Amino acid sequence: MTFIIPVGPQHPSLKEPEFFRFEVKGEEVVDVDIRLGYAHRGIEEALARRNYQHGVYLAERICGICNVVHSTTYCQTVEQLAGVDPPERAKYIRAIIMELERIHSHMLWLGVAAHQMGFDTLFMLAWRDREHVLDLRELISGGRIHSATNTVGGVRRDIKQEQIPKIIERLRIVEGRARAYVDLWKSDRTIMARCSNVGVLRKDDALKFSAVGPVARASGVNADVRRDDTYGAYGDLSFSIPVERAGDVWARGMVRLMEIIESVGIIRQALERMPSGPVRHPFDLKIPPNEAVERTEAPRGELLYYARSNGTEMPERVRIRTPTYGTFASLRPMFCGATIAEIPVVLWSIDPCFGCNDRVTLVNSDTGEVRVVTLGELGRRRK
Amino acid sequence: MIDVAWFLAAVLVFPGLLFSSLVGLLYLGVDRKVTGRLQNRIGPPVWQEFIDFGKLMGKEDITPAPAQSSLFTAAPLLALGASVAAVLLIPVGSAQPALSTTADLIILIYLLNLPAVFLMLGGYASGSPFGTSGAIRYIVQLMGYELVFILAIAAFAARTGTLQLAGIVEYQARHGWLLFDWRIIPAAAAMFMAVQGKILRVPFDIPEAESEIVHGPLTEYSGPKLAIWRLSYGIETVAVAGLVASVLFGGPTPYTVGGLVLPPVLDFIIKTFLIVMLTTLIRNIMARLRIDQSLKFYWTLPTLLAALSLVLGMVVP
Repeated sequence: MTFIIPVGPQHPSLKEPEFFRFEVKGEEVVDVDIRLGYAHRGIEEALARRNYQHGVYLAERICGICNVVHSTTYCQTVEQLAGVDPPERAKYIRAIIMELERIHSHMLWLGVAAHQMGFDTLFMLAWRDREHVLDLRELISGGRIHSATNTVGGVRRDIKQEQIPKIIERLRIVEGRARAYVDLWKSDRTIMARCSNVGVLRKDDALKFSAVGPVARASGVNADVRRDDTYGAYGDLSFSIPVERAGDVWARGMVRLMEIIESVGIIRQALERMPSGPVRHPFDLKIPPNEAVERTEAPRGELLYYARSNGTEMPERVRIRTPTYGTFASLRPMFCGATIAEIPVVLWSIDPCFGCNDRVTLVNSDTGEVRVVTLGELGRRRK
Repeated sequence: MIDVAWFLAAVLVFPGLLFSSLVGLLYLGVDRKVTGRLQNRIGPPVWQEFIDFGKLMGKEDITPAPAQSSLFTAAPLLALGASVAAVLLIPVGSAQPALSTTADLIILIYLLNLPAVFLMLGGYASGSPFGTSGAIRYIVQLMGYELVFILAIAAFAARTGTLQLAGIVEYQARHGWLLFDWRIIPAAAAMFMAVQGKILRVPFDIPEAESEIVHGPLTEYSGPKLAIWRLSYGIETVAVAGLVASVLFGGPTPYTVGGLVLPPVLDFIIKTFLIVMLTTLIRNIMARLRIDQSLKFYWTLPTLLAALSLVLGMVVP
């Protein structure tokens, strides 16, 4: 006999509203049905009704955690539309803030993952160490989470020379802590018991379901947009891409922890090699008709922006594909055969960001069959 | 008449309801405070549990429609009663417990199981999938730690040759603490592992795992009923820690410090407090296991340790 365990839209293990309908037999999950769309906000349409400058503000608010990578990708797309290249120094500053964002996003992930496993001490300590990164972001951009640094044609704030020693000092602390967490992640028996061989995504499945970011890299897919389709300052910086083969929750955690250490290295290099010069070029908001696509590596994986201009100050269409959306299809092979106890940690292992994800979906699946609720149907139901 | 009055005082005041509630809720408060400090937080004040208890008692009692049954209402009260009865069998104020029979330990094993059984029944009666799931997990967990618990107690009983707690305390007064008897050390280690599961501490807080099944059997409880559950849990903690203190740490004994005789109850409080703090420490340095891993764990290492002690205690003089 199977029965249904609802997870969401409100559930202690979900930080955002989304609905997962698990069919369980005893403790074992036999099927999962995912319903999306609880955080739909119509952002793509809203972007097409604002001028390019205002769009930066909105793009930054698509996701709370990875806001800079959203605004950077948006700015890069618009700059590509207009054929403007931002100053070199601005590219380095963007890279520094994006890598700080990756570090704090992964530390946040580590904390919540520990909480899902019932390891609350690690949760609290990981978030304590994340504060260093947030302080640095405040130092550089004025905001702990929302940096408001980017603008079309460059960045709004320069990194001052006297800030650099402070940044280096804090990075040293963060790197030390990250190495301690790597040791813990490798050695703690209870973490191993909860993460090894749990939620396994095999490499062929990862390729078949187009997994992105750390999820793909943990399954042995060596792909990173920063290296494969380089953008901004990343072409001048050297870094390695951590790849694991196991494809389980443990591997996904390991990839993220190693990425923290890599990101610290990237920021150090960027601070050293940063050229001097202006940080912002003047920008004419009237962009002639054109099309542009930009890809970046957000903390959660590949982020894609497409934009079309029509000669006015407003884009005609902006399309965004977020990393969480790319990873959702991979959840089913991870869940089937798992137990209830593994649901939260497996779900969290893809680092889902529903705020990112839910701008576009209108899929309503019920009892296995997928159907799209049209606007007309919605109107009929209201009567 | 005197006997009846004395019995009522034992049940309601010392060491029964009043004393064990105060101590139990205080321990839970200290547990939360220490947890907070270990996690680099400030943590709630140590009297937070009393505040919570008062607040919950004053709240409206909301019972969801599928849960409206006498079982759902009776479960917390019965669990509270079982916990208080268990405390009566434990030596608190002196080597002699408030109630004593020829086989204290067997009755104690039963009484300490009852809160778990009522928690399961409450979970099943709540009509919530989280409650049911928590109850299923609790049954599996009970099968795990109870085997170890009973084997360890059998080892202590075999070594001391008595099933009465007063007898075990007296044996330790003559021969020293059982904890330092080399034949008993494996069983003592197994006992600590079983206690961690019995009072639902990480890594064995599986039936109540909040990030997985909300609050397990307690999901649908609110207001005064939840307060009674919390109180019952506090008293159960005291009873379990008191049992460990009696069988391994020599039970309550009076001390003389600088001409001042300290009452045995103070000794009881110090020993049980340290035992609770040990469980707090363990629960803060580990992640939660899965239910199948928990069962596998209990049926291997701790069971072997307890069985080893049982054999050693009987074979080696």
